[in-house]
Amino acid sequence: MLRSNLRRAAVGAICLTSWLASQAVADNRQAAIENTPEPKPESWFEDRTVAAGVAAPHRTRSFKNPYAHIMEGYTALGASAAAADVDGDGFEDVFFTDSSENGKNRLYRNNGDFTFTDVAEEAGLADGNDAANASANSLWFDADNDGDPDLLVVRFGQNLFYENRSEGGEIRFVEVSEKAGLSRYLNCIVAIAFDYDLDTDLDLFLGNYFQPVNLFDPETPRFFPESFETATNGGGATVFRNDGPGEDGIVRFTDVTQAIGIDISGWTLDLGHADADHDGDDDLYVAADFGTDSLFRNNGDGTFTDVSEDAIGIDTKKGMNVDWGDFDGDGLFDIFVTNITDEYMKEGNFMWQNLGELTFTDVGRETGTHSTGWGWAGKFFDFDNDGWLDLYTVNGWVSQSKNPQDNYVLDIFEVIVNPEIDLADARNWPPMGNKTLSGYQRNALFQNQGGTLFKDVGARHGLDTELDARGVALADFDNDGRIDLFVTNSGQPPYLWRNVQPTGRHWLQLVPQGKTSNRDAVGTRVWVHAGDHTSVSFVNGGNGFASQSTRRVHFGLGSEAKIDRVEVAWPSGKTQTFKDIQPDRIYYLVEGAKQLRPFGPQAPVASSQEAK
Amino acid sequence: MRQLIAMTVGAMGLLVASAPAIANNFYAEGMAKAKAEDWPAALDLLEQAVTADPNNLRVGTDYRQAVIAAGEYDRCLEFLGKVVADHPEAPNALLNLGFAHVDKIPVEGAITQVILANTALEKFSAALELEETWLLRYTRGNSYLYWPAIFGRTQFGIDDLQRAIDMAKELDSMPYHGRAWAALGDGYWRLEDPAKALATYKEGLALYPDNAELKQRAELDETELTTFLEALFDTNVRVATHLAEIWEAHHANGAR
Repeated sequence: MLRSNLRRAAVGAICLTSWLASQAVADNRQAAIENTPEPKPESWFEDRTVAAGVAAPHRTRSFKNPYAHIMEGYTALGASAAAADVDGDGFEDVFFTDSSENGKNRLYRNNGDFTFTDVAEEAGLADGNDAANASANSLWFDADNDGDPDLLVVRFGQNLFYENRSEGGEIRFVEVSEKAGLSRYLNCIVAIAFDYDLDTDLDLFLGNYFQPVNLFDPETPRFFPESFETATNGGGATVFRNDGPGEDGIVRFTDVTQAIGIDISGWTLDLGHADADHDGDDDLYVAADFGTDSLFRNNGDGTFTDVSEDAIGIDTKKGMNVDWGDFDGDGLFDIFVTNITDEYMKEGNFMWQNLGELTFTDVGRETGTHSTGWGWAGKFFDFDNDGWLDLYTVNGWVSQSKNPQDNYVLDIFEVIVNPEIDLADARNWPPMGNKTLSGYQRNALFQNQGGTLFKDVGARHGLDTELDARGVALADFDNDGRIDLFVTNSGQPPYLWRNVQPTGRHWLQLVPQGKTSNRDAVGTRVWVHAGDHTSVSFVNGGNGFASQSTRRVHFGLGSEAKIDRVEVAWPSGKTQTFKDIQPDRIYYLVEGAKQLRPFGPQAPVASSQEAK
Repeated sequence: MRQLIAMTVGAMGLLVASAPAIANNFYAEGMAKAKAEDWPAALDLLEQAVTADPNNLRVGTDYRQAVIAAGEYDRCLEFLGKVVADHPEAPNALLNLGFAHVDKIPVEGAITQVILANTALEKFSAALELEETWLLRYTRGNSYLYWPAIFGRTQFGIDDLQRAIDMAKELDSMPYHGRAWAALGDGYWRLEDPAKALATYKEGLALYPDNAELKQRAELDETELTTFLEALFDTNVRVATHLAEIWEAHHANGAR
């Protein structure tokens, strides 16, 4: 579906208004934050992993082929978590992947009291690992627009697509991968969903790490990266257009990768979408290991153009994560990408500050976020509800022997400095054994200091753990307006951190629902004006490495107890403005509805001032 | 001792005046083009100057500075590689080739940086096998310090720098000789002994009271030193390889 100029103009007007407002009030916002009393120095997060019943560890895959001793060092992946309200009870649930052969994936159903029950077996979602496939990630998305989330289990091997057929409180999924056209062998590691062609349903964007070789029984040893910096022999990306349900009601997908202009063959580790230029459609960032990241502009006609060179330049780093958020309060979505920073290799993370007109500049060093270690997921969220997006990054590759001589860097160095070595041949990579590579690295919780600088307060809040973390699923699991964290660790138990921050700062959460737009409302942008404070966010379809955060849109409001208005730009082009909204509540935000509908038992109703 | 000084200086090829006249002509014309930022012409002429006088350190150095300005790193590596192949007896050609690898480091990715740095070390070592000079000892010693301690190269660097300090005692004192003391202290810092690093700076400063690098370091506390040296050893920051201090010192001493 093509968008009209009128729609562009309307969306643009909203953006401009919001941007101007946010520019004008930056100083006041900072002053308001500074006037907030300093809280007590206790941690604002409680480790509820065991008490909540989610302490089962992730287990990595052991291979049995001739290259197993080499591969295992490079496939310590697959610990992922995806949050969504699967059963529609108003509480966010979590899907948690294992990767071991015959290891069970888990669906943690939220009991509403910050405890969870694994219902994967009953739901038909437990069996994601076998001799020929290893779970690597997962994605909730309402593929058929029927109001409940369906599930894609991302695997080294073939993905699994489950249709949600829950009824009457019984959670039930049916695996329909083949009928849906999603059973191809891809060695996928990441999936996100957004409506790139604006035809009201969610399309799938898959990032593939290895080429589609059978990793469990490879016919050739030449399936490793051909270069440390410019490898193009990876799995690239695959885009499946959602063609809607067939006669049997099952959604069909068609591979449109080449047709829409996504032409990459690198070692994709993450994908992220957002409307970078506020033109009403979502653009795409691709983070690639062993090579160059890419930024694709959505042309608005169902195709993309690679604008990497002008937008972000050409890099040779090890991109691992993509998350979008407006960290500096200028109304434009910025991008956080993790890379490798260690004693032996100082790439530095990217904090791509959006300068407008699809140009970005890396302010990782300037913002203090560039050096976190061997980075994995890095997620924007406002943990202290002060109105500024904070950032949590998890780090560390493989933590094994603590003997300094058991540092795998020394082994890989011999490979790096030998130009004669055929890197694509797995046999030429030294086995890792019990050695450590960028291990025992601490996670970082970066508190935004006013849009220009971040301060690591991970140790102060106990979130600076040093397990080999991979993913960070953010959600308000107890609906108290404070964002909690589910952190996955490779080969180890996850962490479930309950946010108990005591500041009393105000907040707003919206549970979006598309009508003309895709039902999940992915891509919807929301501006909240409260006093001198304007924030923008959007509904994201799975951004961030090895983890999917809540679909809800959360805003910290600082000391502002009154919300002046909420502006919404839906993917359909419809815009709405709501006024006189009470803070500290969760609302359903339904496309076209004249009111924000209270979530659960909460009372206040906000009135819609206009619906276009 | 005078003989040693003369031999060292001569081997470094500092005296452009002693180079063949044809090299001087190309060099002068090339530098004029460089001044005018006519890089294609400058590089062509300076390459002819290097070809005519391959062991001339200054000609090679100024050629590399033009290369940096023009961003023609690969051309330079190829050219100097050929010069070395044609003149395997010329230590300063090898030194310049090593520096050319160092010059390219900031514009490359982290892995290529490692490869370039390692190759540079190989060239410096090869040059040292041909001839031992203070500059070569200092250069290789300092290069070792860019490697994290895990690679076990720091002690090699300290050994080279200590040797450079010993060599300096046999030479006319030059302000830039203080650099070896500064680098030696940096080596101790790399070995996580900042107290010894600071003591080394102060010891060097007593001998070279005007050396800016020693003065700067000696004024820092241990925390400040770490911040300073982490920034110094950032591989994305260009290392100055123009050797200007050497030219200035010898010019001041009337060497030219």
